[in-house]
Amino acid sequence: MRFLVQPAGQPLDRARPPVRAFLAFTALLLVGWVASRAAHGALDPQGLARILEPLPGERLGPVALWEEVHQSAFLYGFLLLGVGSLLAVCPVSARTRNGLVGLATAAAFVDLGAPFLPLVRPGLPGWAELRIAGFGVAMTALSASVAVAWATFGREPGRPRG
Amino acid sequence: MVDPRMARFRLPVAAFAAMVAVIMATAAVLFARKIGLAPGRVETFYLGSEVGFAPPRSLAGLLEVAVPHLLAVPLVLFVTLHLVAFAHAARRRPFAILSAVTWGCAAAGIGAGFAIRFAWPWLAPLKIAAFVGLEATLLAWLLLLAATIVPTPLLTESGGAPSRAAR
Repeated sequence: MRFLVQPAGQPLDRARPPVRAFLAFTALLLVGWVASRAAHGALDPQGLARILEPLPGERLGPVALWEEVHQSAFLYGFLLLGVGSLLAVCPVSARTRNGLVGLATAAAFVDLGAPFLPLVRPGLPGWAELRIAGFGVAMTALSASVAVAWATFGREPGRPRG
Repeated sequence: MVDPRMARFRLPVAAFAAMVAVIMATAAVLFARKIGLAPGRVETFYLGSEVGFAPPRSLAGLLEVAVPHLLAVPLVLFVTLHLVAFAHAARRRPFAILSAVTWGCAAAGIGAGFAIRFAWPWLAPLKIAAFVGLEATLLAWLLLLAATIVPTPLLTESGGAPSRAAR
């Protein structure tokens, strides 16, 4: 945090190579996360229902659901903090960075929260599709954030002409 | 007073704090469901039960849970405490005491499982106390972190004097 709040100029410019390496690994993590969910059948509504849907009478849902949300929240937390903090010192508008981080956060909560809907209303249709959509939006917004940070981190902010 | 330089980091810090809250809530449910909140249940979880046909935990099984937690728990604590220390003009002594309690609970929570299984089963209450202590202190840290997120007239993007903790 101390490093990121230094006055604009050389330190951020010098930090560009390790920051880009970190962002490259973040992009790989996002690809790996999507591939992992696809391999477990979690990108298909029927496959997702098989893994996470509560059995009749299972008031709190399967333990696997809580474990999955526990681990995913850890990943989302650090991704949003890490990429969001880098975006905060990039020369992009507050609207762009808040839009990307806000969208990613909202979509992450849809991804984490959707599997709990059948616990609130048993038999509720569409929760699996909602979760897959939330995950897709979160991954897209995080990928876009990584791309923007990659392209702009350490650059001088544009000066108005005239 | 909150460091004004935190203003532009408000959204990522808020997202992080919210996710840590989810981690804490799911951890509480998992602890209650899998291990239990009574010393007898904790002992049964680690030592097994002939009545319930539950085998004792193996070293490999304990390590499978402990190793990821030895990375994840200190990482969450380090980042949370770092953000709080940076954002607030925290007084050194209370900060150090609360930090020590948090780190102590984290270490006891991870280590107690091994101790109960292989050495001292009577430590089961410590496992519960460590978990509750970690959740309670982490909640306190999260509340302090949340105080940095709430918009105030002092917390603007225009900057200002850095806090005592940040200097």
